[in-house]
Amino acid sequence: MDSAREVSDGRLTVEGFSVASRAFADKWKIHNQSFPPWSWVPLINRTLLVSKKQEEGYLSLEKIIILSSLEEEIPEDESLNVATDCLEKEETVDHTILVPTMENEAHYYDFHIVYSASYKVPVLYFRGYCSGGEPLALDVIKKDVPSCSVSLLLESKWTFITQEEHPYLNRPWFKLHPCGTEDWIKLLSQSSSSSGCQMPIVLYLVSWFSVVGQVVGLRIPLEMLN
Amino acid sequence: MAEKETPPIILQFAPLNSSVDEGFWHSFSSLKLDKLGIDDSPISITGFSGPCSHPQVSNHLTLLSESLPLEEESLIGTTSHGNRNKCPVPGILYNTNTVESFNKLDKQSLLKAEAKKIWEDIQSGKALEDSSVLSRFLVISFADLKKWSFRYWFAFPALVLDPPVSLIELKPASEYFSSEEAESVSAACNDWRDSDLTTDVPFFLVSVSSDSKASIRHLKDWEACQGDHQKLLFGFYDPCHLPSNPGWPLRNYLALIRSRWNLETVWFFCYRESRGFADLNLSLVGQASVTLSSGESAETVPNSVGWELNKGKRVPRSISLANSMDPTRLAVSAVDLNLKLMRWRALPSLNLNVLSSVKCLLLGAGTLGCQVARTLMGWGIRNITFVDYGKVAMSNPVRQSLYTFEDCVGRGEFKAVAAVKSLKQIFPAMETSGVVMAIPMPGHPISSQEEDSVLGDCKRLSDLIESHDAVFLLTDTRESRWLPSLLCANANKIAINAALGFDSYMVMRHGAGPTSLSDDMQNLDINKTNTQRLGCYFCNDVVAPQDSMTDRTLDQQCTVTRPGLAPIAGALAVELLVGVLQHPHGINAKGDNSSLSNTGNNDDSPLGILPHQIRGSVSQFSQITLLGQASNSCTACSETVISEYRKRGNSFILEAINHPTYLEDLTGLTELKKAANSFNLDWEDDDTDDDDVAVDL
Repeated sequence: MDSAREVSDGRLTVEGFSVASRAFADKWKIHNQSFPPWSWVPLINRTLLVSKKQEEGYLSLEKIIILSSLEEEIPEDESLNVATDCLEKEETVDHTILVPTMENEAHYYDFHIVYSASYKVPVLYFRGYCSGGEPLALDVIKKDVPSCSVSLLLESKWTFITQEEHPYLNRPWFKLHPCGTEDWIKLLSQSSSSSGCQMPIVLYLVSWFSVVGQVVGLRIPLEMLN
Repeated sequence: MAEKETPPIILQFAPLNSSVDEGFWHSFSSLKLDKLGIDDSPISITGFSGPCSHPQVSNHLTLLSESLPLEEESLIGTTSHGNRNKCPVPGILYNTNTVESFNKLDKQSLLKAEAKKIWEDIQSGKALEDSSVLSRFLVISFADLKKWSFRYWFAFPALVLDPPVSLIELKPASEYFSSEEAESVSAACNDWRDSDLTTDVPFFLVSVSSDSKASIRHLKDWEACQGDHQKLLFGFYDPCHLPSNPGWPLRNYLALIRSRWNLETVWFFCYRESRGFADLNLSLVGQASVTLSSGESAETVPNSVGWELNKGKRVPRSISLANSMDPTRLAVSAVDLNLKLMRWRALPSLNLNVLSSVKCLLLGAGTLGCQVARTLMGWGIRNITFVDYGKVAMSNPVRQSLYTFEDCVGRGEFKAVAAVKSLKQIFPAMETSGVVMAIPMPGHPISSQEEDSVLGDCKRLSDLIESHDAVFLLTDTRESRWLPSLLCANANKIAINAALGFDSYMVMRHGAGPTSLSDDMQNLDINKTNTQRLGCYFCNDVVAPQDSMTDRTLDQQCTVTRPGLAPIAGALAVELLVGVLQHPHGINAKGDNSSLSNTGNNDDSPLGILPHQIRGSVSQFSQITLLGQASNSCTACSETVISEYRKRGNSFILEAINHPTYLEDLTGLTELKKAANSFNLDWEDDDTDDDDVAVDL
C-alpha cells in the first residue's frame, strides 16, 4: 500500500493516480463551476481475483459544447435521395411540426484522464463529434480549441497530439502523448516547491492539468493550485 | 370549446433529433459479425435522453454502445438506472442486409406499428407506470461492414391529434410562478433529479399548493392529486431549448392526457436545466387547448408522423467510420504514428514524405532480399518490387525471413510471389509486386534461339529500373550484378549493393551515372556538383565479370555464409539508402569516412555520416568505411561503356554476354593487364578476385 504523500520523480502509482484524481475532481467542482464536474468511471476487472483497495478508473468530462460558427461542407451523399419518394406521398402533412431555422452547428467534446501504466503518468484523451455523432477530424478540433502557448512547456517539444486506441473503449481517440510528462512535472515541482522535486500527490493532477488543459482550451482557475 | 376572437394558434412542436455515438456502430458491427450474421429480425434497443441543459443547444435522443442488448463483457460498468443524463427510452432497430432492402422497407407501416404500441400503452395504463414508453422510437439502418459506412433513419412516432392542439399561452416558468413558488418548484425538481429512483422518470406532475409549496408526483398519482392543489401542471423533460416552442415529447403526452383524463385545458411544464440544476428561466409553462375526441373508439389508432429530417430533407442519414474501424486504415495510421514519433522525439528534420513515396526495386529475394524488405517496411517504405527467378527451397525459410514452411511444400512457390504475399500479410497497405525473371549475365553465353528471350529480359529489367527510384543489388553472383549496375548508371538511379562472404560482408552505394541525361557527352566522370563520382561495384576490378559458377566445387557453388551476416548487411543497406534519400545531394552526395573528424551529426544529413562503402567481418566483430572513386576503365559504369550501350543497345549487350573478353577490350583493361604483366613478374600471382567481392551469397 502506497503511503507516500509526495512524488519526487514526476511519476504516479495507480493508487496515487486515484487519490490525485479525487482531489482534482473535488477542487474542480468548487472552483470551476462554469464547467460541469468531472466524474470518476471505475473499471471492473473481472479477471482479477484479488480486489484492490483503490479501484482503478479514469476521470471523465463529457459533452462540452462548443458552438461552431463554421459553415461545414459535408459532402452530400446523392444515393440518400433515392429512398424518399414513397415517404413523400404517404405521410400526412402535419402543420404542428416547427420548421427549424438553420442554426450554428454544435460540436461536442469528451475528455478522459486515463492512467498510463507504462509511463506512470496521467494521459489526456479527447475527442470531438457533431450533434449527429460523426467524429470530428483533428484540424476541425484545432479550430474549435485554439491552444494558448503561454509557457515554454507548450512548445511542440512537449505536446504532441496522436490518435491511438483508447485503452478501454477500443476506438481511436486523440491523446496528448505522455513522453515528456515526467520531465516537465519535475520542472514544475522544482519551480514551485522549496524541497527539490517534491510534488504532493493531491496536487499532482491539478498541476498537470494546468499545463495540459491549455492545449485543449480548458483553463483552470489559479485558486485550484493552492 | 371556448370561442375566441382571434383564430387559435396551433401549438407547434420542435422536432426531436437523434445522435448516434460512434460506439454504437462499433458495438453493432461486432454484434452483427459475431452473433447475428444475416439475421435481420428487429432488435430491441434503448435510447438515452435527458432534459435540455444548454440555452442554445437542444438535447438529443442518443444511442450509445450500451443501447444494444448486452453481449460481451466490457471493462466499464454498464449504465445502471439512475443516471440523470441517460434516461432510458425503449426503441426498436430494423437493420437490413442490403441497401436495396433498406430502401424498400415499408416505412409507413413500421411507423404505424410503433405508434400503435404507444397508443396501446396509453389505453392500457402502462404509460402511467412507465412513462418512458411515450417516447418510444424506431430506427431503420443498413450497415455496410465492408466499407464501414452506416445508413440510418430515425422515427419518433407522434400521435396526431385532430383537430390540432391550440396554444393559449406560453411563457418562461419564472414568469408564471411567483418567486416563492418558483423556489419551491426548483427545489422539488432538483430533489426529483437527485434521487436515483426518479431521476430518469421523464413525465411527472407538478402540484403547487395554495401556500406555494410544490411537490413532484408520479403520473399514476393523478387521482390522488385532485383537489390538493392550487396549480397542477403536467411536467416533462423537454430536450428542446427554444423559448417559443415545446419539444416533441409533449405530443404523445397530450394524447395520453386527453385519453386518460379528458381535460380540455392542459397546463404543461417544459422542464429544462442548466449546469445540473433546474432552470426556470429556460423552462417553459404553457396552456394548451385540446379538443376532446368525439365518438372515437379506443381501438382507432390516430395517424402518426415522426420521420426525422436530414437537414430539412426527407432522406436518411449516413456516416462513414472507415477511419476508425477499418483495420487496414488503423494499421496504416499506427505505422505512420510510429515514424512521426521518431521524428518528433529524435530527428525533427527527418523527411518522411520522401520515404513513403520512394519506389524500391529488389533484385534478389533471398536472405539479403528478405532482410532488406523487412527493414524498408520499418522505415515506412511501402513500394517494393521483387525480382527473383527461384523458388522457395526447404532450406530457405530459416534464413530468408519472408518465407515459411508452407511456401516450400510441393513444388515450392516462386520467391518473388511468396515475398509479395508475405509483405501483404505483415502490412496490408504495402504496394508490392513480384517479377519472376532471370537477370542476363555476361560470361554465360546463350544460343541464338535464346537471344530474343534474353533481350526481352534485358528490356524488362531496363524498364523496371526506369520505373523505380532505388535499386538493391542482392543477387548471389558477381556477374548478375553487372547489367543492373550498367543500367542504373545509365539511368542515374540510386543503386545499393550488398554482398556476403563466409564471415564478411560488403555494402556500398554506387556513385551517380557518368552522364546525366541533359549533360553533354564530353563531361567525363564529372557530376553536377563537380566532385569526382563515387565508384560502383566493378570499378575496382581488373577483370570483367565472368562465369564464376561452373567448374567450381560443390561447396563453392552453394554459397555458405554465417547466418548473422545477411541481417547485418541487409539492415546496413537500407540505412545507407535512407541516408542517401535524406541527404540534400541525394545520389551525388560525397562519401564520408567514419575515420574523419565527425563529431556527432553531419550538417548535411540529420542521420549522420553517409559513407560510400562499408565492409565488416564477424570473425573480428569489426567494421570499416571505405571510399573509392569511379574508374575510367570500369566495365559497368565508365563513360566508355555507357556511351557504347547507348549507341549500340542490344548488340552491345549480346556481345558482352557472349564474348568473355569483349568488355575488357572495350574498356582498355586488356591493355592495362598487358602493361601490368610486362613488368617484373616477381609479384605473387594473387587471386585476381578480391575475397570480399567475388564470393557472394
